Amino acid sequence: MTHWKHLKRRHAAYAASVLTVALVALLVGGIAGRRRAPAPGTPAVTATGAIARYQQTLHDTPGDYRTWADLGAAYVQQARITVDPTYYPKADGALRRSLALDDTENYPAMVGMAALANARHDFAGAVRWGERAKKISPSNPDVFGTLGDAYTQLGDYPAATAAIGRMTALQPGVSSFTRASYELEQHGDVAGARRVLEQALQAAYTPADVAFCRYYLGELALHAGDLGQAAEQYGLARTADPTYVPALEGIAKTEALRGDSGSAVRDFQTVVGRIPQPQYVVEYAELLTSLKRGNEAARQRQVIDGEQRLFAANGVTDDLTASEYAADTGDAAGALAHARAEWARRRSVVVADALAWALHLNGKDTEALTYARQATRLGWRNAVFYQHKAAIEDAVGDTGAARADRATAQRANPHLDPAIPAIGRAT
Amino acid sequence: MQKDQGRLRGRRPIILAAATAVAATAGLLGSFGPGTGSASSHREAPLIAGDPQADNTDVYAFTSPDDASTVSLVANWIPFEEPNGGPNFYPFATNTHYNIKIDNDGDGRADIIYRWTFRNEDRRGTSTFLYNNGPVTSLKDATLLFRQHYTLQEVTKHGTKTLVKDAIAAPSDVGKASMPDYGALRRQAVSAVGGGGRTYAGQADDSFFLDLRAFDLLYGANLKETGNDTLKGYNVNTIALQVPKKALALKGDATRNPVVGIWSTTDRKGADVKLGGVQAGGYHQVSRLGNPLVNELVSPAGLKDTFNRLDPSQDHTVKPLVNRVLNPEVPQLIQKIYGVPAPATPRKDLSEIFLSGISKNSGGPIQADLNSQLLNKDVRASRFVPAEELRLNMAVPVTAQPNRLGVLAGDLQGYPNGRRLSDDVVDIGLQALEGAAQTGKLVPALAKGDGVDANESAFGSAFPYLALPHDTSVNQAG
Repeated sequence: MTHWKHLKRRHAAYAASVLTVALVALLVGGIAGRRRAPAPGTPAVTATGAIARYQQTLHDTPGDYRTWADLGAAYVQQARITVDPTYYPKADGALRRSLALDDTENYPAMVGMAALANARHDFAGAVRWGERAKKISPSNPDVFGTLGDAYTQLGDYPAATAAIGRMTALQPGVSSFTRASYELEQHGDVAGARRVLEQALQAAYTPADVAFCRYYLGELALHAGDLGQAAEQYGLARTADPTYVPALEGIAKTEALRGDSGSAVRDFQTVVGRIPQPQYVVEYAELLTSLKRGNEAARQRQVIDGEQRLFAANGVTDDLTASEYAADTGDAAGALAHARAEWARRRSVVVADALAWALHLNGKDTEALTYARQATRLGWRNAVFYQHKAAIEDAVGDTGAARADRATAQRANPHLDPAIPAIGRAT
Repeated sequence: MQKDQGRLRGRRPIILAAATAVAATAGLLGSFGPGTGSASSHREAPLIAGDPQADNTDVYAFTSPDDASTVSLVANWIPFEEPNGGPNFYPFATNTHYNIKIDNDGDGRADIIYRWTFRNEDRRGTSTFLYNNGPVTSLKDATLLFRQHYTLQEVTKHGTKTLVKDAIAAPSDVGKASMPDYGALRRQAVSAVGGGGRTYAGQADDSFFLDLRAFDLLYGANLKETGNDTLKGYNVNTIALQVPKKALALKGDATRNPVVGIWSTTDRKGADVKLGGVQAGGYHQVSRLGNPLVNELVSPAGLKDTFNRLDPSQDHTVKPLVNRVLNPEVPQLIQKIYGVPAPATPRKDLSEIFLSGISKNSGGPIQADLNSQLLNKDVRASRFVPAEELRLNMAVPVTAQPNRLGVLAGDLQGYPNGRRLSDDVVDIGLQALEGAAQTGKLVPALAKGDGVDANESAFGSAFPYLALPHDTSVNQAG
């Protein structure tokens, strides 16, 4: 593979002439495979730094479509790292500029568009971009990564399996193994999901990769009710990379579920202070509510409302989170409206569960049951799905089925806390 | 140990600076690896975690200058190792096959695979990140807390033979205080190979030298000052093997069959699970390298990932790849910008250099018998296929005063006849693309090449020949 794909990223900042580097990039950076992660040993490289370098390059050579594609991808990455959706329109602009300059061989920009579409929950759009990129570069692992993500979220599981299988064959490693693990988890193979995550961990090279794998080992344990194992994995994630915020979120969740609310609140406060990820804020708000700390919960709810507006304003269409949150906070009508809107766009098991639950909260249990069955159709040992289904079955009078599903939920996760549903939700 | 602490202390201000820069948004010092989360409740695995451990950067093959009965093969992995890259430094990957492959009958398939596999001996526990907790003067010192062991196997049609069992790889160079004499560690890490020969695995200076800005030439920028080695100061992980020539030759006869094709690959172990009813296990080739610069300068954009996963025996079936060798882009660019006329296509000369080896009976225009397997007396021409390999005629004697331009300058021991560490493959490659191999004349407009004519550190005179790793950071400011 050679050095070339790494050169541009690593050296743009140090080369004597930015212009020269830009021109080299035309030939070398662009034609080489896409590698966006820095080599290990690089001191805390931030997307900010990469963005500044690309901008400088483009200032001198505005016709360099490959760097426009890189810039777009860096914006998507930056949005994910900072949970600041205002980067999405910027990413969109850079990627479209890149495509305007070349739309024949420019698969990096198409993969960038697919990743952006996924980030904005436009999964159908991600499939269109990914399939276009696939025609140009049929062995690029990232193409299949974006396609796998998109098909999973759309609920087209056979297509997702095929894409992830292909990615795993093309590039065994952290990116494909963590996707394969999720794939197996959703299909009910918990042991396989854990095994392949452990394999991902062995393949992990950078501290951030190690932390990512540890975190998801923690998640698997948490959603199986093994709080001790979960806490250990989250702790190891934090040890591997102290800057990796989800590790602390995981630790906070185990504290909350163990009833150590003082530590949980303190840690959640730190987490949402560092990354205002909507999911984390929701978890924190629900924890505060369960502790009868209404004023503090209300403040977090304001944060959530503000974020939802901000995400929507930057092209993120997410009725799923809105539905789940509305359901958790007693807004049955809102939960249903949002769930129906999401279902109109995509039919994943997670959305099916949200819709089933929202229908139940509105007393539409017969209809709810069909969606609850859809939610459990893959065999995912997701305790929340089975608990919802059991409640719906009770409501329609099928107590036998309800008992069985409640037992399944209990086996899947004996530590589900109904007072803080967001913390138990496996997504 | 003191040095390590100093280094970690020294790094802190950088991290703080980074933190300040991002604090305005969310204060995440985030590494640029896997995503830390997504906008909302759906899960995305990291898309863009690279795989430098699988990334083979260069392959060299040459008659050993100090022992003409043997050939030395050198392959490098993990580009841009910044010296002092702790705390984990730069291990070889486990669950991975590092291969050097030999095709001695010209059918594009490996007749001999040399395969290195590594395992970790990690005694750091959870209490320390440190690679070592005191000076390391021997590979077996207890102070070296992380050590890699490897096995070297030879795979042929007769089966798999273990040539080296559980040898110790040289560690990453942690610095002068921790490893006062890395040369001594390297010498200890050279292991005898069963059946004759020796091998080394460990860190080394990156032997490739070039100035990337040379490619300005291609895009018509002002002719700026070139001559800076872009890779100066960086290390790589290297695997080197020295074996008797007869070990590589077809039928074990290096006199009748002196030509061999060489390339390296990395195979990563797949997921040990079923995905959609299909076993995802086994090993998958993710990287491949024979001739330098081929995938960069010749492969079409959309085929680069494919190329890395192809076996050379398949190359001739991939039409766009073959077409691009016959109709390369670079000479067109040079013509457009500099008015140096591009040689007429199809470029059968490039096909000889990259795909078949140079010989009069290969059907190409270069009137020389240099390094095609078709020159081997026991090769069946009917089974020969064009395949991208680095080809070495082991019968060519060692040049006393090697010329960096190799064959183009009349030094037949140099690239593209195998590749010596000191061969200037960027300059050779540009000249070859401009047709110098078939005209026998260098193109004056490109005579300066990239202005980098030699590696920043002298190569050694004894196996494994590479310069010792650097132990001073390249980018002091991070």
